[in-house]
Amino acid sequence: MLALKIKDITFKNPIMVASGTYGYGNEVSDFVDLSRFGAIITKSVTRNPREGNPAPRIFEVSSGMLNSIGLANLGVEKYIDEKIPYLNKIDTNIIINIAGTRIDDYIETLEMLDNADSKHIGYEINISCPNIKEEGMQFGVSPDMTRELTQELRKRTDKILIMKLSPNVTSIQDIGLAAQDGGADAVSAINTVMGMSIDINTKKPRLSTVMGGLSGPCIKPVALANVYKLFKSLDIPIIGIGGISNCDDVIEFMLTGARFIQLGTINYKYPNLVETLTDELHSYLGQRSIDHIKDIVGDLMIEDK
Amino acid sequence: MIYNEISKVIENKEIAENIFEAHLSSDNLSKIAKPGQFINILPSSDFNKIMRRPMSLSYQDNKSFKIIYKPIGDGTRIMRDWKEDDLIDVIGPLGNAWDISSDKEVVLLGGGVGIAPILNLYNNIKSTKTSYLFFGARKKEEHFIAHDPEKNIYISTDNGSAGIKGNLFEAMNSIFEISDLKDKSIYVCGPPMMMEAIRKFTVEHEIECHLALETIMACGIGICQGCTVEKCNSTTNSDTYRNKYELVCMDGPIYKANEVKTCLL
Repeated sequence: MLALKIKDITFKNPIMVASGTYGYGNEVSDFVDLSRFGAIITKSVTRNPREGNPAPRIFEVSSGMLNSIGLANLGVEKYIDEKIPYLNKIDTNIIINIAGTRIDDYIETLEMLDNADSKHIGYEINISCPNIKEEGMQFGVSPDMTRELTQELRKRTDKILIMKLSPNVTSIQDIGLAAQDGGADAVSAINTVMGMSIDINTKKPRLSTVMGGLSGPCIKPVALANVYKLFKSLDIPIIGIGGISNCDDVIEFMLTGARFIQLGTINYKYPNLVETLTDELHSYLGQRSIDHIKDIVGDLMIEDK
Repeated sequence: MIYNEISKVIENKEIAENIFEAHLSSDNLSKIAKPGQFINILPSSDFNKIMRRPMSLSYQDNKSFKIIYKPIGDGTRIMRDWKEDDLIDVIGPLGNAWDISSDKEVVLLGGGVGIAPILNLYNNIKSTKTSYLFFGARKKEEHFIAHDPEKNIYISTDNGSAGIKGNLFEAMNSIFEISDLKDKSIYVCGPPMMMEAIRKFTVEHEIECHLALETIMACGIGICQGCTVEKCNSTTNSDTYRNKYELVCMDGPIYKANEVKTCLL
């Protein structure tokens, strides 16, 4: 009833966790049954370790939060040694999120992971992190760069390739089409929305990097509009992300055109949300005599005016 | 082991002016928690903010724990209205614990609601170590512990309305010379400015000092990487991770004064 596929890979349900909001899985394993998820997407890994940005890195805002972590992570070599053995034991699909600043960083990281003794079924490529400052291309804002990067990675792996898109662009559908042309199996949208907050007493920005990424329930309408634009333009599956907090939100994304969804910032508040979500999805479908969840994907009723 | 459990409110009362203490039942976490550790609380099931509220334990036994809070923010104002038998979603125990391995006499400094992890430590060690407890607040009405120098319990007030007049730092210095403190270890939790003054003082005079840091946290379990503190003596370069910046929620919240660059997070 809830199982879905991307290419030949089956996902037991459409619920994934968004990169960066569930670490590497082991952090919550004391009190969450990780096998309940359709997939776990791990925190962005980069070619080399990164310390990340100075404090303050997060700030709570109305119905959401700002963050500017700066892709702090242990680097791909340690990731393979220290994280993959644990990830191999989890009874669900593992998707590894890769970030970078140069095309070669992405390629080397992907090749090292592809050759590792790992059961992961795919990659999500972060081309849209708003919080890194180094010289380098902003892949996610350019259709040409997105197409080229997707092609280069596509040549090097048969595993699922998902490009994660930014809302901070003029036309998300053009970036999505470029990813599709380049050979992506799916796109995920949206990454965080560029945002800012100021302490009026000190006149200082709340984040050390001044601007950061806004996430949480406040960005859900932005995310839905972007998923809708992508659904109208693309043929490949869309993975919807942005402020999902309950079953109604999941259904809303799927009606808008998302085949899968990711839980993000809400994991900090309810790390165990998946347990109730799958039950509630079953009841929603059962009450309406819908055979399979794929039947509601894009089933949006828009009247001609 | 970290638990996500539903605790029942046993009692929730105002113990001093605008200072509250909540006593909650616990199936598991209070049994294994160590003084200095904290929990991450969802103030109510319909809480409309995105972050839980981290709180230090002020007391723990095999089946319950206490927290002390001041209702000034969105979360703590909801907590003020907790009634007996309300069910509260908590995650814990989180973070590291006070290091009590040294044989020295201990000086415990708690400022305002920062007294919570200090009280938990005090109750844990007072029978085995010579302990001097200092509790600072702005005025008499904010105190819930009696000034009792014979028992090595000192309270201070900014306005002199009870105990020693002055802040916590001044109170400690009125009892102990710097040379007295050299063979003691200090444990402190309170307002960041106060902790920063004590951090600088103890580093300068090479006095052993343990700090319980406070900062904004989202997950509390090392995932979001939001709650960083910059370490001293880090040999950082472009190839490090969690060397320059540590996570207060899992590497801390307890640090030695000479390990961190600042308490002003």
